[in-house]
Amino acid sequence: MGFLIDGSIRSNVDVITPKPFSVSVADFAASTGWTLKPEGFCQGDVCVPVRDPKLQSADGVVDVEAAAATLGRVVVIDTERGIAALGDTAKHLADQMNTLVAPDFTLPDLNGDPVSLHDFNRRKVLLLAWSSW
Amino acid sequence: MALDADVEAVREWATVEPLTFPVLIDRDMRVAELYGFVNVPASVWIDEEGRIVRPPDQALGDDRFRNFTGVDSSVHHNHLRAWVREGVRDIDDSRTLEHLQRPTDELQRARLHRRIAVELLDRDTIDGATQHLAAAEALAPNDWTIRRGNLPLVGEDPFGPKFFAFVTEWNEAGRPGYQLSTGKVDADSPL
Repeated sequence: MGFLIDGSIRSNVDVITPKPFSVSVADFAASTGWTLKPEGFCQGDVCVPVRDPKLQSADGVVDVEAAAATLGRVVVIDTERGIAALGDTAKHLADQMNTLVAPDFTLPDLNGDPVSLHDFNRRKVLLLAWSSW
Repeated sequence: MALDADVEAVREWATVEPLTFPVLIDRDMRVAELYGFVNVPASVWIDEEGRIVRPPDQALGDDRFRNFTGVDSSVHHNHLRAWVREGVRDIDDSRTLEHLQRPTDELQRARLHRRIAVELLDRDTIDGATQHLAAAEALAPNDWTIRRGNLPLVGEDPFGPKFFAFVTEWNEAGRPGYQLSTGKVDADSPL
């Protein structure tokens, strides 16, 4: 059993090969939303063309490092422990910040109940980052 | 929004007195990366249209660390009151854009290593977690949320020798991070 972290989403995945770290198309789709098809990685009607032969030849298998490169994500893989983490590139985040649009988010409160930025629509929000440390 | 992996540590602080606002846990520092928080305490202002109207900046609740920070916290508080009550901003869009904390891909990779480390700590895989925390620190040597935020994950004192060694490194690196210096009254303070 392996594990895939995409942003804040964490999923158990079946590891097809530990090195290169690859998982089934179904597991990759369930964790990231991207389904590997003949036309590319698809999310609904939107498809990202796949040119990497590592992704074109593997039947029903996604090489996670190659997938991250194709999808424009950063990735860190721990092959020994079967864990991969995918995340946004610096450029993606900077482009988003430059719009000055406050990205929506949902986080748990102390009771584990989800709270979203959009719950405070049409109000001023002071977003304060603090910590116990 | 607490950048903590340990919910109970947050609860201890957040329940000292009744609060009128929600306290959220950003365990993965996912919202921290979306908004560019590189140290705490810090704030971003978001207006009624959902736009960022003040960039990430140090935001102290009071002056208890004034000898350390050299900051008069009331300056930021007064800016905040003026914005809330009168809609007056002390920082315009162009200065906001100038002071956004845009990450590097190294910092992004550091954040991924930290997420893996937190997952491994949940499984009590301490060796693996320690390796990933070290990798994160090597990739983001000047980011407080990584360098200082990692300390409690492995039972280290966030005010201990490792923290002060980091502060020295960070000073030598030219104090990267928030540069607005809101309320800074002592330019020679340690932080």
